[in-house]
Amino acid sequence: MTKLIFLGCLSKTKYQETCKNAIKIIKTLDSEFEILEDVPCCGALAYHIGSDSELKTHVEYVNDWFKSKNISNIVTICAGCYNYLTKYYPQFLGEDFKIEVKHLIQFMAQKENLAKLNLKNLGKPLKVSYHDACHLRNAELPVIEEPRIILESIENVELKELDNNKKNSICCGAGGGVYSVFKENSDHNSKLIFDQLKRGKALLTACPFCYTALYRVRNDNQIKKPVIKFEDFIVKIMEGVDPLVD
Amino acid sequence: MTEKGKELFDKVKENINILQTEGTLEKQFGDFWKLACTIKTRQHDLQYLYDDSSREFVDKYRETLIKMREDFVNHMDDYVEKCINIMRKKNFTVYYAKTNEEAQKIFMEELGDTKTIYKSKSNQAKDIGIIDILKTNNIKIKETDLGDVLVQLFKYELPSFQVGPGAHFTEEEIAAKIKEVYDVDLEPKAHAIVDFFRNTYRKELLNDIKVSLTSANAISAEDGTIVLGENEGNISLITRATEKHIVVCGITKIVPNILDAVLITKLQSRINNVSYNYISLISGPSNTSDIQGTSVQGMYGAKEVVVILVDDWRTKAAKKNLFYKEFLKCIGCKSCIFPCTASRAFGNIFASKYGLGGIAIIRDYIHNGIEAAVEDGLFLCTSCENCYHWCPVSINLGEILRKMKKEASEKGLAPPYLDQYKEKIFKEKNPFK
Ligand code: SF4
Ligand code: SF4
Repeated sequence: MTKLIFLGCLSKTKYQETCKNAIKIIKTLDSEFEILEDVPCCGALAYHIGSDSELKTHVEYVNDWFKSKNISNIVTICAGCYNYLTKYYPQFLGEDFKIEVKHLIQFMAQKENLAKLNLKNLGKPLKVSYHDACHLRNAELPVIEEPRIILESIENVELKELDNNKKNSICCGAGGGVYSVFKENSDHNSKLIFDQLKRGKALLTACPFCYTALYRVRNDNQIKKPVIKFEDFIVKIMEGVDPLVD
Repeated sequence: MTEKGKELFDKVKENINILQTEGTLEKQFGDFWKLACTIKTRQHDLQYLYDDSSREFVDKYRETLIKMREDFVNHMDDYVEKCINIMRKKNFTVYYAKTNEEAQKIFMEELGDTKTIYKSKSNQAKDIGIIDILKTNNIKIKETDLGDVLVQLFKYELPSFQVGPGAHFTEEEIAAKIKEVYDVDLEPKAHAIVDFFRNTYRKELLNDIKVSLTSANAISAEDGTIVLGENEGNISLITRATEKHIVVCGITKIVPNILDAVLITKLQSRINNVSYNYISLISGPSNTSDIQGTSVQGMYGAKEVVVILVDDWRTKAAKKNLFYKEFLKCIGCKSCIFPCTASRAFGNIFASKYGLGGIAIIRDYIHNGIEAAVEDGLFLCTSCENCYHWCPVSINLGEILRKMKKEASEKGLAPPYLDQYKEKIFKEKNPFK
């Protein structure tokens, strides 16, 4: 039986540092998890426009690959991969999809794992806000409370909710493949998210798509407060480094 | 991607350009709309007039509403038949129109020689093509909701916000327009503008009205009562002061009983933060039996109330289990528009001639096909499902739009980059390679 760390195409291609951080967290919690070569794409971006038969073929291909590697558990670091692996794979494959899939945040939030991580912010007390990505809040098994449990467990860190949070969060405007074609959507919506960042000193997100949009809009608008990927934030806390410094 | 796909993609890009160009009507509306959405979304969480917020109100009734609408969709034929029977007994003139075209024909026949029609706000009339047919026949359409009166005054043709259609015009702009059209000097203040219309238009309407057109917020199948909610009193006037009141709406406006009908009307007011100071319950034409017990129709109110219930796509969607069947549950509350990611960012270019947002694009798809929907900005939707979370009857518009995107893609109408991603995922198993 193999436990797989599913990095996701976007993070793998664009955010290697984040991948390293995610791997560090996962390995700390369960050293049996592995990275494999040539992991196929979950297919998320094709779901909006692929036909059912095309998608089924793809999903079957990926599942066969999983079987060939004897995969029993997956932890994804991308919110999109989590959503699609848990929603569409069972839909297309039924009983034939037997893998237990968790998002990194769910995995971290498990009681024993949180205890093991024992997170403490060594610097000054810090207020942060968390952006709920659509892929996590809309999933079959929504990931909504877990990030809050994690943040609340960290000594010296306080969560300041955005006005729109949990199921009512504002979408960054990048989803559904819209980002590649119509960036204007995130120009407005990602900015709205930053507008709600009042008492939080940084904006955390667990989705690389949201991060990409938020990061760009932050730069375009010369916003001072940083947007940080959840796993990057956690690793800095683990290492006793100031999480707000790049 | 086909030629047509390229053309539609360019059209949407061009629309976005216009939306971002200072001085265009689209930009003006877009800026207003961004603000309105942000405020509206917040208002749902505030206690506005009542002890509970509108979100709490919706949550309290969500289960009842979902059950009510599912029951309706599953027994549509029975409800329609029951409703028509009771309405006939109550002296309504009732038609069941199989198609929009049939409804338009009935409507024109009922209109007879009348050349002017007074109407209240009605998306249904647009949806069923009544407005188009009136225009083709050169019938003068007199809007009565002040917002729509302004929209008409400005000859504003773009999709606007159904609940406050003229809200993006400033007081100065309106006063200047009144000067231009009526040569009347007004203080550019809301109360002065309202007074002006009260003193002129209200009188004109009362003298002139012969036929009026409304939709219905809901119709009770149990007792055939039409429920209409409003703030201004225009619906009360045009449904009473007229000779003939024509109601045109889809059969999906029918609900089991009068309490359900009032609940739905109340919900629409709560969601849109309008107070509905008047709610009319219309159960037939005006009637008196005061002379020797002889029943005579038409004392003060309408002599005749004509109801045209339109099926068109509805029964087909239910029976054939079409992918937009869920949409039959829609109660037209517009809850899905304010929190919509695409609507917020793209105002009236994520829209169709039926109005703003996903619901209007789905309507366009149903009536005019996938190319129309792509042109309306189908691919601006991020599938965030905010619409679904906010809808009081849990319709997942995002999912319906996603199915439409798939159809568009099969017909070569998907935007170029998305197509490339798809290819790369299926062939190379990585979209970013
Ligand atoms: S899924 Fe699409 S239609 Fe629904 S709220 Fe999001 S952007 Fe709007
Ligand atoms: S789809 Fe939109 S308009 Fe229809 S019931 Fe749901 S929220 Fe209301």
